[in-house]
Formats: sequence, structure tokens, C-alpha cells
Amino acid sequence: MSESYVTPDGRTIGGKVLEMRNITLRFGGVVAIKDISFDIREGEIRAIIGPNGAGKSSMLNVINGFYHPQDGEIWFHGEKRKPMKPYQIAKQGIARTFQNIALFKGMSTLDNIMTGRFNQMKTNMALQMIWKGPAEREEQENREIVEKVIDFLEIQAIRKTPVGALPYGLQKRVELGRALAAQPRLLLLDEPMAGMNVEEKEDMSRFILDVNDEFGTTIALIEHDMGVVMDISDRVVVMDYGKKIGDGSPDEVRNNQAVIDAYLGVDHG
Amino acid sequence: MVSKRNILPEGLDTFPKLLARNAKQWANVPAYREKEFGIWQSWTWSQVAEEVDALAMGYLALGLNEGDYVAIIGRNRPYLYWAMLAAQAAGAIPVPLYQDANAEEMAYVLEHCGARFIVAEDQEQVDKVLEIQDGLPAVEQIIYYDKRGMRKYEHTHLNAYEHVQAEGRAGNQRLAPVLAERQAKLGEDSTCVMLYTSGTTGKPKGVVLSNTNIIASAKASAEFDHLNAGDSVLAYLPMAWVGDFIFSIGQSCWTGFCVACPESPETMQADLREIGPSYFFAPPRFFEGLLTNVMIRIEDASPLKKRLFHKFMAHAKKVGPDLLDGKPVSFIDRLKYRIGDFLIYGPLKNTLGLSKVRVGYTAGEAIGPEIFEFYRSLGINLKQLYGQTEASVFITQQPDGQVRADTVGVPSPGVELKIADNGEVFYRSPGVFVEYYKNAESTADTKDAEGWVATGDAGFIEESSGHLRIIDRAKDVGKMADGGMFAPKFVENKLKFFPNILEAVVFGDGRETCTAFINIDLNAVANWAERNNVAYGSYQELAGHKQVYDTIQSHIEEVNKSVALDPMLSGCQVHRFLVLHKELDPDDGEMTRTRKVRRKIVGEKFNDLVDALYSDATKVSTETEVTYEDGRKGAIKATLELRDVAVVPVVKEVAA
Amino acid sequence: MFDQFLYGTEAAINGLMTGVMYSLVALGFVLIFKSSGIFNYAQGVMALFGALTLVGIQDGQVPFASLINAVFGTNVRDFGWTLPAMLSILLAIGVMILFAWLVERYLLKHLVNQDPIILFMATIGLAYFMEGIGDLMWGAEIKTLDLGINQGINTTIDSLTYDWFGYGFYIDNLDITAAIIAILLVVALTLFSQYSSTGRALRAVADDHQAALSVGISLRKIWVIVWGISGFIALVAGVMWGSKSGVQFSLSLITLKALPVLMLGGFTSIPGAIIGGMIIGVGEKVFEFVVSSSWFGDAMGFTMNATENWFAYMLALVFLVFRPQGLFGDKIIERV
Repeated sequence: MSESYVTPDGRTIGGKVLEMRNITLRFGGVVAIKDISFDIREGEIRAIIGPNGAGKSSMLNVINGFYHPQDGEIWFHGEKRKPMKPYQIAKQGIARTFQNIALFKGMSTLDNIMTGRFNQMKTNMALQMIWKGPAEREEQENREIVEKVIDFLEIQAIRKTPVGALPYGLQKRVELGRALAAQPRLLLLDEPMAGMNVEEKEDMSRFILDVNDEFGTTIALIEHDMGVVMDISDRVVVMDYGKKIGDGSPDEVRNNQAVIDAYLGVDHG
Repeated sequence: MVSKRNILPEGLDTFPKLLARNAKQWANVPAYREKEFGIWQSWTWSQVAEEVDALAMGYLALGLNEGDYVAIIGRNRPYLYWAMLAAQAAGAIPVPLYQDANAEEMAYVLEHCGARFIVAEDQEQVDKVLEIQDGLPAVEQIIYYDKRGMRKYEHTHLNAYEHVQAEGRAGNQRLAPVLAERQAKLGEDSTCVMLYTSGTTGKPKGVVLSNTNIIASAKASAEFDHLNAGDSVLAYLPMAWVGDFIFSIGQSCWTGFCVACPESPETMQADLREIGPSYFFAPPRFFEGLLTNVMIRIEDASPLKKRLFHKFMAHAKKVGPDLLDGKPVSFIDRLKYRIGDFLIYGPLKNTLGLSKVRVGYTAGEAIGPEIFEFYRSLGINLKQLYGQTEASVFITQQPDGQVRADTVGVPSPGVELKIADNGEVFYRSPGVFVEYYKNAESTADTKDAEGWVATGDAGFIEESSGHLRIIDRAKDVGKMADGGMFAPKFVENKLKFFPNILEAVVFGDGRETCTAFINIDLNAVANWAERNNVAYGSYQELAGHKQVYDTIQSHIEEVNKSVALDPMLSGCQVHRFLVLHKELDPDDGEMTRTRKVRRKIVGEKFNDLVDALYSDATKVSTETEVTYEDGRKGAIKATLELRDVAVVPVVKEVAA
Repeated sequence: MFDQFLYGTEAAINGLMTGVMYSLVALGFVLIFKSSGIFNYAQGVMALFGALTLVGIQDGQVPFASLINAVFGTNVRDFGWTLPAMLSILLAIGVMILFAWLVERYLLKHLVNQDPIILFMATIGLAYFMEGIGDLMWGAEIKTLDLGINQGINTTIDSLTYDWFGYGFYIDNLDITAAIIAILLVVALTLFSQYSSTGRALRAVADDHQAALSVGISLRKIWVIVWGISGFIALVAGVMWGSKSGVQFSLSLITLKALPVLMLGGFTSIPGAIIGGMIIGVGEKVFEFVVSSSWFGDAMGFTMNATENWFAYMLALVFLVFRPQGLFGDKIIERV
């Protein structure tokens, strides 16, 4: 199944965007990820689930470049990835959000999201100091893109508010905005729904689906809320104690005995 | 069609003609503004005229017939105002709907007027229409403006606004003459717009308003306040409301002033500040809310700021209204006021966005006098007006220099007033509506053969000033068991003056005593709770808190003292009250979309609570059904405390 | 009495000028501390080194002259040319930027995740190292720095105030120039950090390293920029002080004076550095003026002199007790 296909609701899922081959990650004596392979296809929403401590965040950190696996290869868009710094990986088109929100607390929403455009802003410092001319134009172009993101996420009212003063749900939305502003090819979301109530989760799910639908962005997300996972993801990877114990569509995974034993449990009702 | 009355000047009796004049006379003056993507975009009159024509021709291309109804659904956006103007240009009639109406309410209106075309703002509105489409066989074309999320929809009867305009421009050659022909047939008697009243009782009625109605009212009121092309307004009130139509289309097309649309409902306050309109209308609730916010923020300010504020505000209250009215004020007082303006009033007005307001109006319900004084003392020319959809808004207005809290003003230019024997107010004017659509019976009930319209309100004209004073809804004005007048609004308005009380419903018609339901203002009370370390987990818990009850009780007692002084209404003091466990909500049918309490419905829905108030019980348990925003229903259980209130004994004169 | 007031005002104005210079030095500290959490002990030495380099380039000195002479037995001193001021300044800026790059590459990169205290010690080492290199490169004699900036009493102000008040204020031209340059620098810096993309990246790095990395900002590149700008500011400060009192090794003692400024204004605030500097500058001069004046002596029975040496530190001590984060610094909250 490596050619593209069309889902029931009309989205096109393409070839492999990211391929993790036999990834092993160790921290001293602790093996966080043990020989895991899986792929993510273009345009799909891939969920990574598993109990706490399974190594999901570590996996995202590997994709992102914060951790370097001792073994294994990462293939991005058909090319093997050389050891790179996180900022170089960001330049390649991978953006992410963090479980505990890594926003610039002292800066406004607008400024935070503008930093997401950093890699696309090419004018050098000297031009910026002069300001008039290329630097100003570039700033305006990027501002327009950022405004569209703000409009998309409906956060116009908090444009100038320092992010540290915002409630948790809005901070998460701003962080999503910053990741979106980078117009990434692959979007990594680390527990985007954590700490939200039902209404906020619905809003966030809607945004994630909209992003995937309108911009065709490939999304990998770590999530604990099974309802959300079953609802919005195309395929699921299940991890437990650093090993992969399930990989397939939400339905396949839901009925997988190993997954049920380790994580889902059975319906006692 | 030759009209008999010819009230309007020949060349300016329809909106297409007004638009054409504006495009020539004020070609480069901004007509409409909107904040999109963080910056204010604007269109001049000539640009607007072009856009409207393009859309009108697009309508023609899609098959719009003369006399068709075009429904418009969305929040205030220039594109939707143009959609209404374009409908008129094509000989059709716009029918704006409330954007936060649910599918059921929309279905009724759409079915009643038989609209063939619908112009919706975005996916949300389109979805609502599609949901009820089966019950609306007349609907043929849906046009949407915002393309977001619309990619997947089937487009046989769905069209994007942009495309419709493009079609219109492409077909210019053959469609322009058709347009001209249709416009030639329009005159001052042609229907301008149809607005559905929110209906405090029963189903909404379609008020048919002609060009005469709208334009004559716009002209008269614009002259009354010297409105001109240099003025500007912020359009944020529902487009389905007659006031917004008169301000944002009627008056703006007549005078040429600029209409600005905010970026989103949440940013309205910030946008108000940026635009700084010179002509501003808001319901009393808005001004009350603003004042409450200011007071709350002052409480949190440093002691120095607080002292300065209170000191200068006291001076403003003394001197400000007089300054505004042009009455003589001593030099020293003027100087002090100047200083106060520099330090306090100016910055305050700036924060509120009201610095440039030359004429401000409020209407809808009687507004607490102290709130009125607050704004006037700051130098904001806030006045009252009184009107209805059926009058094309204006019945009475307060002239500059004659502004008082307890009247609604003198008859607007062209309006005649009379008071019936039972106290009901009647009026007649060029703005009086043509009829209720498809409802001759109601029309006959409301408008008599000579054109006098019953307002449904009881009031009297003050001899000394010629101002009208409204007491209450005529049918709500009742009698207490002992024959004394019962006017619930009178008491409720006094109660609502307190920042802690958001809403009050007073019962007592035919009873011996009056009782009341109270809704607390979550904003104000939560703030107080925070400052006094009172913990609460929900609105319901806060509403039932003993200290909250104590505060409310003292408020009611204060009001009772004031009510006792009124010669006619002293029997209306409140004897017992309870605090409701949930806020009254339009979604639950307890209020109208314009937030007027539906007294009868509330009384019926909560009849167990009313009964408990008229018993000796100190507590009552109840379960209430609520409707969530998406239409689902749920239930809230609560046990409410019932309290007695001190009442001032009134020495009643022996009835003559 | 009025003339006392006039003298006092003159003292205050002079204090303001001095204060601006203090601010300039403090600014360099703030920049580096804000974006990398390092207290750069070498800031004062950077000022000295910058000034030395500038003089050396301008006078056409041969760098490392004494070393070369010692090794090769030659007797070189100058190249024999002098360079115009503008060119020398540009070259000196280039040297400071090169220096910033070297510091990042050979010092910071290797100490990235270490404790702040270790980084602080590294900068102490850097300071001594630079002093030594400075000496070796350019020699330790006092040099005069002449960039063509006016020096001496500003005659316009002198005559104006004489006409108005009957007493001519002595305000040095150099001080005025320095103040203006400092203000321009601060304004430019603020605008740059608020509105440009790199400025935003600087603020981002100062806020949260992890988040900045994840957005694709190269920390190392930003550090080079920050140290470069600090180096430039140090150069300006060194030039200003050097023009006034000659380029000599005691210039590096400016570091000490910057400490009270930082304590007053907060370590992380640019406006704080400016205001702190001015408060210290004015405070010093006015305090000295008051406690050494005759009427103070009459009132209290004694006068104090040379209080300029310790006033700033006393003030800083008071602040440390009552408001450790300074007037504008971020409140130090330990989150559990």
C-alpha cells in the first residue's frame, strides 16, 4: 500500500513522508525505544498511543532532532537523514508542539506566532537594521501569513496579550498557531488535548481536522483520549515499554489483544 | 408607479438612487470599513456602488425575480450590507435574520417569507440552512461569502459571493439594462426591507417597511442630530434589528457617513477604541456593563488612583451634564473640569472608545439614572430614544440640552403622539410600517384606519417639558389586589441599576404583594467573591451563597425605599425574593434575542418558584430544563432560598 | 541660596551625563545576561580591549609589537601610517565581531548546558585572558584617543546659563556627545529588538531556549549576534571613557561601577539599565555636592568628601535588601 489512495471522506493519502527504521534510543542503561519501525504517510493523521512511560514523547523528540538514536535510520521524504541539529530539522519542514507548552511567555501572541516564520525570513541583519526596503516588505508578507493563521484559529482578540497571561486552552491554541505558521510538511503534536475540558477538546479536534483538510498537512499526534484518537486518526501506532505493540487503523488496533492487555482494557459495562 | 404622497424628494426616494448619488458626490469618501487580518480595509462610495451593482447583476444571472425575498444571515460585514443593497437594486426585498438564531427559529422565518435566495456569511450559517432545507421548498440559491470549509460542499445551488459578482460583471452588457429597468419601477412606496420582530409573545411577525418609511426616518433623524458625511459608526448590533438597518444603511446612505464593522464579536471593544465613532448606539445593558467594568477596575487600582478618580468623578457629576447642556458653569468649576478631563475623563473615554462620540443614543428599556449621569458627566452626549421596528425606529428622541434619565424625549420630527384612555401610547408618522406580512389581522390590531399605531406601552406626556414618559408594557401594567397600579418594569429597572443584579423579574399582578426573581451578574459578583475570598464552584453555588443573598436583600430594601416615594406605584415594593440558579437565556426561550425578558413564559416555566414565593416557605427545590448551545437539552436541579424583605409602610391617601 | 541651587543643578546635569555612560556599560551586561543567563565579567575588559584596538589601528601600531621584538630581536613599533577615524572605527567593530565569534566557538559552545556559576567563572577567565592579550598586543602605556570629538566646556551652554542665571554651567562637550550617542544606541536597540525578525529571535532566546530551538532558531548564531552587539556597545563605552581620560588599564574597573547600576535596574531590563545608570550618576554627584557643601557642614557639624567612591554601592546594598530584582527586573520566583 505504498501508492496514494483516497479515504472515504475524500482526502488523498500519499506516499511515505517519514519512515523510522529500527530506531533504538538509550539513556545510559535505560532503553527508551527498542527497535521500532513505522512510517507516516503524506496527508494522514497518525496517532501514537500507549501508557505513560512507553516512550512516545521520546519518539517525537527523535523525529524532531532533540534526541539522537543510537541505532536505526530516519528517512524523510525518501532521503536518509544525516545527524542534524534541531533547528536544521525545523528548517526541513517539521514543526511541533510540546506537552507542557513551550511558548515565549513574555512575548505577545502575535510575536510568538511570528517566530514560527523565522526560518522563512531570509533578509540578513544588516538589511533589517536599515529596515526600509526588503526587510520591511518581508515582515509585512510574513505578517499577513501569520494573520491568516490567527484568523483560522479565531484568536484575534488576544493578538497583543502576553502569552503568559492566557488561560491554558488558549496557550495551547497559540502554540498550534506557531507551529502552523511555519507551514510545515509534518506537524508533530504532543498531547494537544491535555488538560482540556470537553468543549475545548472539540474545538481543538476541529482545528486539527481543518488543518489536515484545508492545507493537507501530515500530522503525527500523541494522545491519551481514546475517543479523540479513534475519531480523528487514520492510522495508529501503539507503544509499550519502548516497543511497538500495534500498528494499523484505529479499528484494527482497538481489537488487537496485545493492545487491549497493555493499555485499552476491556469494556466492563 | 405614481405615489400619492410624495414625501421624499423625487431623485432620492430609493436606495439605488441614493447609492448612485453617493458614488458621485462622495466618490472617494470611505463608506464601509472592516478589520480583516489585523488591518482596517475600506471601500469608498464609488467602490461600494460598483460592488453592489456587480452582485445585483449576479443575482439576475442566477434568476432573481422582482419582488423576491432575499434572506441575509451573518454578523455585520460590509459584504452582507451590500447584499441587501444589491437585492434592492435588483427589485427584490432583503430580509436580514439574526445570526445566532437556531435552525428552528430560522426555519420559521424563511418559510414564512418564502425566500428564494439566501446570502449566508460562512460555513456555520450555510450548515444551518442545509439542515432545515427540506422544510423550505422555496429556497433555490444559497450564496456564501467566507470560503473556508466550503470546498467539499455540493455546488449546484451553492455559490460563492465572489463568483456571483464575477458572473454579474461578466454579464454586464445584457444585465445592466435589466437592472435599470427594474430600478425605474421602484419608488418611495416600494418595499425597502422586511424585518421580523423578535416577538416577546408568539411567533415573529414580518414588518414590511417601504422606502418612505426608512428614508424619511433616516432623513428626519439625521437632520435632528446634524449627521453628515464626516461622521462614523461602528456596526456591531444584529443586522436583523431595525436600528442597525436605519443606522448602517438608512442614515449612512442618506448622509454619506462611514460604517465600520469589527473584526469579531470578541474584539468589539478594541475595535471601538480604534475607530472612535462619532455617532454611537448601544443598548442600556452595554453601558451598564461598561460602567460595571470601570468600577471593578478602579477597585483594583492603587489608592492614589482611586482617590483621584472618585474626587474628579464627583466633580464631573456636579458639573459635566450642565457643561454638555450648555448651561452656565462657573470659571473655577470649568477649570477643574478641564484638569479632570486631562487626568481622568479623557483617558477613560479613550479606553472605552467613546472619545469622539458627538451623539450617543440608547433605547430599549428605561436606563438607571445614575448610569446616565455617569456618561454625561464625562462629556459623552448620551441621549435616549424610544422606538419600534414598526416605526422605522424613531418615535421620540431627546434633543441636545434636554436630556433626562426618566423621559424618552419629544416626538421625533414628523411624529405625532397621542395617549389613549387606558394610558397606551399611540403614534403616527411617515415611518409607520406598511403592514405585517401575510398577517392582515395583526396589522389591523396594531394600526388603525387613520394610521395610528399602538405601541403596546403605557405612558404619559409630561406637561412641563413635552417629554414622553414610559411606565411599562401596557399589558404588563396591571393592578394589584387593592387596585393600586402594578408596573413591574419600574421596579425591575431600579433593581438592575445595581452592578450585582443582572436581571430581575417582578410578579404581583392581581396579587396582594410583589415578589421577585433575581439573576446575579456573574462578572460583578465573581469579582467581589475573589476579593473577599469566597470560594464557589459554579454559577449556581455562587447564586445560592448566603452573603450574596444578604447583599441582594439590602439592594432590594434600598429600592423599596425609593419605590415607596412614587405616588402611583408605591404598592409595588418587593416583599419576598429568590436568586435564580441559572441565568435567563434566549436559548431557553426565557428572553428574546434582544434580551428582553419574556415575563409570561418565565412565570409559567418557573411557576413552582412563584407559588413558593407567595407561600411562607423558606426553601424550594426545583428542576429546570436548559438548552445547550448546540440544541441539546439538559436539566439543572437546585434548592433555592426564599427571603423576606423589609418594606416601607406607605401612608395611602384615601382614594378620591 | 539660589546659587547653591544652581551649583546643585549643574552637578545633577553632569551626573546625568555620567549616568548615561554607566548605562552604556550596564547595557552590554544586560544583553548577554538576558539571552544566555551569563554574567559577563569580561564586559569592562571588552570595553578596554575595544578602545585599545581602536587606538592601535588608528595610530598604525603593530599588534604584538613587544612579543615580536622579544622573539625576533627587532624593534618595530608602528607601521608608520595613521588611519582616519571612521575607518578605524569600522575596523575596530570588525575586530569585536570576530572576537564575539571566537568566544562563541571556543568558549560558549563547549559550556552550553553547564551551571551559570561555571559560565561566570569562564568569563572571569576570559577577562584576565583579554587583559593579557590586550597588553601583549598593544602595550600598556596610557594612550590618548582622539576621534575628533569635541572636548572641553560647551561654550553655548556656558554663555546661555550665564545670561539666564548669572552662573555659567560647566558641561563638557564630550559628555553631551556621549549622552546623545548612548541615547541613539538605546533607541536603535529597542526598535531593533521589537520590530525586526532577528530582534524577535533575540527576545525568543532570552525567554526560553528550548522553545527557540524547536522553532528553528540557531542558539549559537544568536549568541554570536548578542556578543557582537555587546562588544560593539563595549567599544562605544570604551571610546567614550577613553576619550575623556585616556585609554588605560584602569578602564576595566568600569565593570565594578556597572554592578550597582544592574542591581538597581535589574539584570534583565534594558530600560532598567538606563534608568539605573542615571539614578546612580545623578545620585552620586548630588549626594557628594550636598554632603560636602558648607550648609550641610553647618547643619550637621561635619562634611563628607569623596563620597563618589562608595555612594553607588551603599545604594545598591539598600536595594538588595528591599528589592533584590531591582526596579525593573523579573521577580525571582521559585516555582515548585
